[in-house]
This record gives sequence, C-alpha cells and structure tokens, in this order.
Amino acid sequence: MKVIRTEGLTKRFGRITAVDGVGLDVREGDVFGFLGANGSGKTTTVRMLLGLVLPTSGTVEVLGEPMPARRASVLPQVGALVEGPAAPPHLSGRRHLALLDAAGPGSRRTGRAGRVDDALEQVGLGGVDRRPVRTYSLGMRQRLGLAAALMRRPRLLVLDEPTNGLDPAGIQEIRRLLLDLNAAGTTVLVSSHLLSEIERTCTRVGVLHAGRLVLQDDLASVCGPTGLLVVDTPDPHLAARLLVGRVEAVDGERLLVRDQDAASVNAALVGAGVPVRSLHAQRRSLEDVVLDATSRQAIA
Amino acid sequence: MTRGRGTGRRWLLVALVALALTAGPPLARAVPTRPVDIDAGTLLGRVQAAEDRPWSGLVETTGTLALPDADQFSDVAALFGGSTRMRVWWRDADHWRVDQLSTSGEQDLVRTGDRTVRWDYERLQARFGEEPSVRLPRAADLLPTELAARMLRGAGPDDVTRLPARRVADRTAPGLRLVPASPRTTIDHVDVWADADTGLPLRVEVYDASGRFLTSEAVDVDLATPSEARVSFTTPPGAGVERDDVLDIADAANQYAPLIAPQRAGGLEADGSNGAVGVYGTGPEQVVAIPLRDREADALRDQLGVTPGARQGATGTRVTVGPLGVLLTGAEGEGGLLVAGTVTPPTLHAVARDVIAGYQYVGVPQ
Amino acid sequence: MIRVELVSLLRSRRTWATIALVDALPVIVAVLLAVTDLGPRPGTGPAFLSAVLTDGTLYPLAALAIVLPLFLPIAVAVFAGEAIAGEAQQGTLRYLLLRPVGRTHLLIAKLVGVMAFVVLTVLVVAATAYLLGIGLLGHQSVTASAPGTASVSGTSLSTPELVARTFAALGYAMLCMLGVASVALFASTLVRSPLAAAMGALALLVGSTLLLTLDAADPLKPYLLTRYWLAFVDLFRDPILWHDLVRGVLLQLGYVVVFLGAAWANFATKDISD
Ligand SMILES: Nc1ncnc2c1ncn2[C@@H]1O[C@H](COP(=O)(O)OP(=O)(O)OP(=O)(O)O)[C@@H](O)[C@H]1O
Ligand SMILES: [Mg+2]
Repeated sequence: MKVIRTEGLTKRFGRITAVDGVGLDVREGDVFGFLGANGSGKTTTVRMLLGLVLPTSGTVEVLGEPMPARRASVLPQVGALVEGPAAPPHLSGRRHLALLDAAGPGSRRTGRAGRVDDALEQVGLGGVDRRPVRTYSLGMRQRLGLAAALMRRPRLLVLDEPTNGLDPAGIQEIRRLLLDLNAAGTTVLVSSHLLSEIERTCTRVGVLHAGRLVLQDDLASVCGPTGLLVVDTPDPHLAARLLVGRVEAVDGERLLVRDQDAASVNAALVGAGVPVRSLHAQRRSLEDVVLDATSRQAIA
Repeated sequence: MTRGRGTGRRWLLVALVALALTAGPPLARAVPTRPVDIDAGTLLGRVQAAEDRPWSGLVETTGTLALPDADQFSDVAALFGGSTRMRVWWRDADHWRVDQLSTSGEQDLVRTGDRTVRWDYERLQARFGEEPSVRLPRAADLLPTELAARMLRGAGPDDVTRLPARRVADRTAPGLRLVPASPRTTIDHVDVWADADTGLPLRVEVYDASGRFLTSEAVDVDLATPSEARVSFTTPPGAGVERDDVLDIADAANQYAPLIAPQRAGGLEADGSNGAVGVYGTGPEQVVAIPLRDREADALRDQLGVTPGARQGATGTRVTVGPLGVLLTGAEGEGGLLVAGTVTPPTLHAVARDVIAGYQYVGVPQ
Repeated sequence: MIRVELVSLLRSRRTWATIALVDALPVIVAVLLAVTDLGPRPGTGPAFLSAVLTDGTLYPLAALAIVLPLFLPIAVAVFAGEAIAGEAQQGTLRYLLLRPVGRTHLLIAKLVGVMAFVVLTVLVVAATAYLLGIGLLGHQSVTASAPGTASVSGTSLSTPELVARTFAALGYAMLCMLGVASVALFASTLVRSPLAAAMGALALLVGSTLLLTLDAADPLKPYLLTRYWLAFVDLFRDPILWHDLVRGVLLQLGYVVVFLGAAWANFATKDISD
C-alpha cells in the first residue's frame, strides 16, 4: 500500500517554482529520507502533503486518500514536525500538549495526561517540570515538537529536519526512537541535511534539486557495491603490474580494481609478495549519490 | 483543486452577500409607491383637515441655517442649524408630548391644556409653567405636522401644485408644493408629503432662493390615538421641581414690557397677539417684533455685529441668514426692537417702523 | 477548539491585565466624582454621568458609556487582531491546522473567544461600577419616598425594571463589539503581524467615529460601525425606543456576516507558510 503518492506535484510562488512536477512514492513501512539542498523545495513539498499549502497543480494522496480534500480523516493519523517546533511561550510543555490534544476533534479527556506523559517520555523530556516553554533550550523545544507529533500514535510521521539543534547523543536517541517506531509499523518521512543520519536510518531516499525529484530509490540499490575493489598497499606499482588490465585507477597507495572476487585478488597479491594493508569492495556513499544526481541534473 | 478558482468563488459569494446587505435596505425603501390619483387642491384640503389629527412617531429634522448664537437664542440657533430627533405623542393641539432626544438624555415637553411641563433628564428637573401666548420657536414647532400647518395656513388650491408621491415612514405619501405668491416672503417654496389615506403631513422641506434649509420627516408613524397616560407627566423620584413664570425672552417681553404692539405692521396683520410682542403675517411670511431691554439688546447687538454679512444702518443692525432676516433697532445702551422673520429686508424695516410708531404705552405692571 | 480557546482565555494573565486596564477608567472617574461631587454640564459628558451623583445604581451604565466608545473596542481589536496572525507568528497555527482543526471552525472559535472576552470585560466593568456606585456615589433612590429611579423620559422605573434594562444594555454593548471583532479577525487572516491587524480594525473604528460627525457623510451613516453604539441609552427611555436598537443589532450582525465571510473566503485556502 502507498502511504504517500504524489503526481506532477507543482507549486509556484509568483514567478518562483518551488516544487516542480514531483512524483513521490512512499510505501508502508518505509523510512523515507527526503534530501535536497537549501531552498530545493523540501518544506514546501511537506506542507503540500499536509494540506497547509495548496498545490498549483498535481495531486496528493496520503494514506490512500486525496489531500487536502480528506484532511479531516487523514490528518488524525499523521504526526508532523514542519520547519521547527512551535508552542506558546508562556505555557509549560505539558500544558501545551494537553491543550493541543484537546483542540482537535475526537479527543477524549480520559487518559490525556497519560498520553502527554508517554509522549514526553518517548522523546526524553520525561523529567520536564512546569517551567514555561519560553525557558526551554533549542534541543528541548525540538523534543517537545517531536512529542506533539507522536502524541496520537500516528501511522505516518512526517518530520522536517527533526534532529535540528540536537546534541550527538540526542541525535542517536531520536534515530533509535524512529527505528523502534518503524519496527512497530509506523511509516516515516524524514527530511534532513545530515546525509550520514539518513544513510543510517532510511530504507529509501528521494533527492530534490531545484524543485525537481532527481532521484527516488531504495537506499540499498543506490548505495550498493560498485563492482570495484579498493586495495591499499605500500607497493602500488608491483600490485598494478600484477593486476594489469583490471586496474581502473591508481591514487597514491590505493588501487581501484575491477573484480568481484576479493579473496582471489588477495591471494594473488599476497602470493606474489605484495603487502596488502586492506582490501574491500567499494560502495557508493550517499554523498556521492546525491552529488552525482544533482550534478547530472545541472548538466542536463 | 487549485487555489485560484475556489478562492474566487468564495470571494464572489461574500461580495454578493455584502452587496445585498448594503443595497437591500435602500432598495426596499425605493419600492415604488402605489399610484395616488389626487389633485393638488383635494390633497391640500385633506392636509388642512388633518391638522391636529392624533398620531405618534419618531421625527428627524435637519436645519442648515447658521444663526448667531446669542445667549437667549441659542436653543433656536441649535434648532435651525442642526439635527433634532423627537418622539411624538399627539392626541390633540392641547394634549401632546414631544421628547427631544440626545445621546445622553432628553428634553421633553408635555402639554396638558394650557399648562406645560418641561423635563430635562440631565438636570433631573421638571419645570411646570403655562403655555404663553407668544414665545420663541421650539423643537415641537418643527414637527412635520406643525410645520406644514403653519406653512399652509391661508393657502388655497391655486397656490399649490402636485409632486410625485414618495415613500415616507413606509407609507405612500403624495406631495404638494406651495409657492408663496406674496412678494414679501423670502421663502421660495415649501414641499409637503402627506399620508395618502389620512392627509397627515409626514415630510416637509422648506426652501429659500438658494436651496433647502429645513427638512422635517417622520421616520416612524403610528396613526392610533396615543393613550392619555402617554401625554401626562408625573414627576419621577429624585427629580427637582420648579415653576416657570416666564418661558423665554419673547414671553418675558410680552408679559412685562409696558407696551402694546399695533395690530398692523409693514402691511401684515397681527396674528392674534395683544401684548408687547407683535407677531405679523401668516404662512410663509411671518415676522415677530420683540422689544428688548438694554442688557439683552446690547448682548444681541454685539453678537449680530460679528455675524458675517451684518449691515449697520440708520435704523439699526440687520443680518440675513438664509431666508431669515433679523433687524435690531437702536444703538448701545438704548434697548431696541428685535424684528425677525422670513420676510424681505424692506418688509423688515417697514415692520420695525410701524411697530415703533404704533406702540401704545401702558402702566408698568407691579 | 472553542473550549480550548475559552480555557486559554480564562487562564491567560494578559486577559485579566487587559480587563483591569479597561476597568481602571470607570474606577478613576467614580473616585473623582465622589471626591469633587462635580457632574458634567448637561449635554457634555457621557450618558448617565450626571445622574449617578444622585443615584449610584446607574453607575454601571455610566461606566458602559465611558468604556464603550474607545477602551473596549481597542481591547477587542487587539485581541481579535491577534487571533490568526498571532498564532501564525508564533508558529502554532500550522500545528493547530494539522491537529486537525478545521479552518472555518478555527475562525469561529476565535470569534467566540473574543466575544467571551467582551462578555467578561463588560460584566467585570458593570460589577465594579455597581459596587462603586452604591459605595461611593449617591443612593437616594433607596431613601426616597417613592422607590424607583427616574427614566430618561422622566417616568419612574421600578428596581426590577431597572435591573432588567441594565442587563439588556450590557447585552447590547456586548453585541456592539461583534463588528470590531469580525473586522479585526478578517484583518488577522490578511496580514502577518497581529499589530497590523489590530491597527486595521482601529482605523475603521476611528474613521467611523470621525465620519459620524460629518454632515456630508449622511448617506454612509447607517452603515458605519459605531453608528448605533450609544443607542443603549434608548433602553432607558419610556417606552423603550427600539428604532436604533434594532438597527444597531442588525448592523452588527451584518458586519459579522460580511467580515467573517471575508475572513473565511481568504483563509479557507490560504497557503500557511509561516
Ligand atoms: N511562501 C513563500 N513565498 C514565496 N516563496 C517561497 C515561499 N515558501 C518557499 N518559497 C521558496 O520556495 C523555495 C523552496 O523553499 P523550501 O522552504 O521548500 O526549501 P527547503 O528545501 O525546505 O529548504 P531548507 O533546506 O533551507 O529548509 C525557495 O526558493 C523559497 O524561497
Ligand atoms: Mg526546509
């Protein structure tokens, strides 16, 4: 089942085309990484998914229903963090969550305090006292925003830069939380600049460049092995002579060898007396993928 | 669904509703009146016959005359130079109540027989008095019924023409135009719209040569006879009670000046007065002559002197405000005769001359 | 959402500070009147202010006449101007809409919230004014041989009648704020800054007050926001003069329909990108 599907999604602000013909495809159980440079249109796309901004053209379906037409039935199943958290500065975090919960439809009073406590616990704000949000640190606000998104145990989480302002331990904590939620069946769409974070958490990625979706694929296939071996040796000349015809490039003491079988290459080198410091199959980094996709787009 | 189309439709809807709400009431008021087939003479007869017919309602008047705001005359100046709202309960000429409304109170006049009560809410005071034979104009004189009666008094079928009917106080009101034949008056014409069924005047407009200067309209009308209780007055708790021996400066002069004004002046007949104050003429040509003492005359003379267009002549100071001519004879410290009315300057001077010449002196009352 | 709006209103310190501020003026006036015993000259000051020197039970009405033309509408414009623009500026608007709170529902909840503030303010002002009136100012009606109060028309009003009419006047004054609230709410959906929205509504208020003094504006007057505000005095004439009161209520409802409609037309599909 498709959790998010857009077709030809386009948004123009006056003469600026912020989002241009985007066809997103997020499936149930995905942790979808949404990437792109500053101003590439990530937030605008997320706003359109949630019915905050209306598309100039194109269609959006979330959880199988058209948006924004069915926002009343879709949004209760979605938790979201859009361009940073927000809360009335004079309220305590706990009070803010309770009021936000009460503001929406179908919210029962019974168990509300428990739900608030659970959500705060999940994001590591369990010990938070009655201080107003005004006094919160950047990271605490971010956590409060996440708690608000988690409050109603959503089927879909849409998080725009969720780790903004978090310390390394916090980032790891949130990563673990997302993976746990995902394991429990929540589909997650997360936009970020932190490629390493996306690489570690996501199953699929989409890359936006100047409003266009230039790449959308499983992380495993875009970051798969390249079919080359990386050989690190103090004697690159000898090694190159031995593997003649298969060496793609020599970079100091590193050789790129076109071969799938690391074991036989190792045996051949060691057998010929070439010292091998390390030898492993080359994989593409997400950074390479993203840069590659965006530069190809720029040329085309 | 794109933003443009849906938004446009909603704005259109809102604009239409706004238009309906703003244009609706004026359109409803412009609903054509039912056709009235009545000639001017018959209508005049009906209006004159409806004099003192019982009714009640709400009246709004607007005057545009900038009269000199002299002490004793400031109420008159306000009356002809601004807007007035009145509630009216009218049983007959001697039993009525007119409440002059303001945003912070009321000044009411209740007439029972020849006695009157004036109630002033902001002073929390009731003043009892007698209806004088001569007095200055007051708010109740501007009711469309009173104004029409005064203006049409003495008019015949030949003096009036028909005007198209209009809707006044949600009633069909055929119109009547009176163009005074007399060369002495400064009033150019008077338009009266009266209820088609009863002849009760509902709206009166008075014009001088330069245009309309007085409008009086009943905005709400009830033709039932108001109850006796409505036109009586009982002093409420906490209010002060006073007795008035004199109502205003005209009443005072009339009662206490040791003079009797002549029965004719400037070619006009006296209008039933027999004291020191003379009122001459009927209908649109009316003029009053009030003898003033030094103090009052001097104050008024100062005020007239600084009024734009004031003329200093051999007889005295003359000012013309719209159709109203005001002449004060004499000089500083001599007292003077105040002559005022809707007549031309020569008539004004002629009245002054005749009144001064025709005064009969009587013994000073104790 | 409406309940949340009301709870937030009641718990907000700002609400009570504003009410205290609005209430301060009638309190000062009452103290000054009590100390100096000097009423306004007839035809000048606010309605009923001269009457309270002899009858303190009328002071709630005088207080109403004091706050109604300026203080109360300014407070209302500020509150309503903040309704949408304030949430947007704070960033909470998008989270409310994602909760999801329907956009039309949100507008209505905000209007209800502002009107609740009006009701609260008017009741507080009237209650303090009543206490001040019988505590500091005259209470002759209690001792007078004929119990009752003089109506504006010089008839006698019994105490129950006076109470009923006073409450009707309070209700009318509350209704009169609907127009300002709707206009400010509309402005609040239009601009980003709450201050600008409040200023927009205040501009209309000041403009309306000014035009009312101008004879040339006669054809416009029946449509001016403040045209019938002081008509609550008509409730104390005898019999009650309904002419302006009815028009006043209809006018305010017209403002609600048009400006709430305009707010809806603008906001229902507005891009929320704050
Ligand atoms: N309300 C708006 N009016 C006009 N232009 C806008 C508006 N919102 C966004 N844009 C433009 O749309 C483009 C995409 O903006 P968007 O916020 O979606 O980028 P982003 O990918 O989220 O960037 P970042 O990584 O910096 O958050 C930008 O060029 C921005 O200037
Ligand atoms: Mg962004």
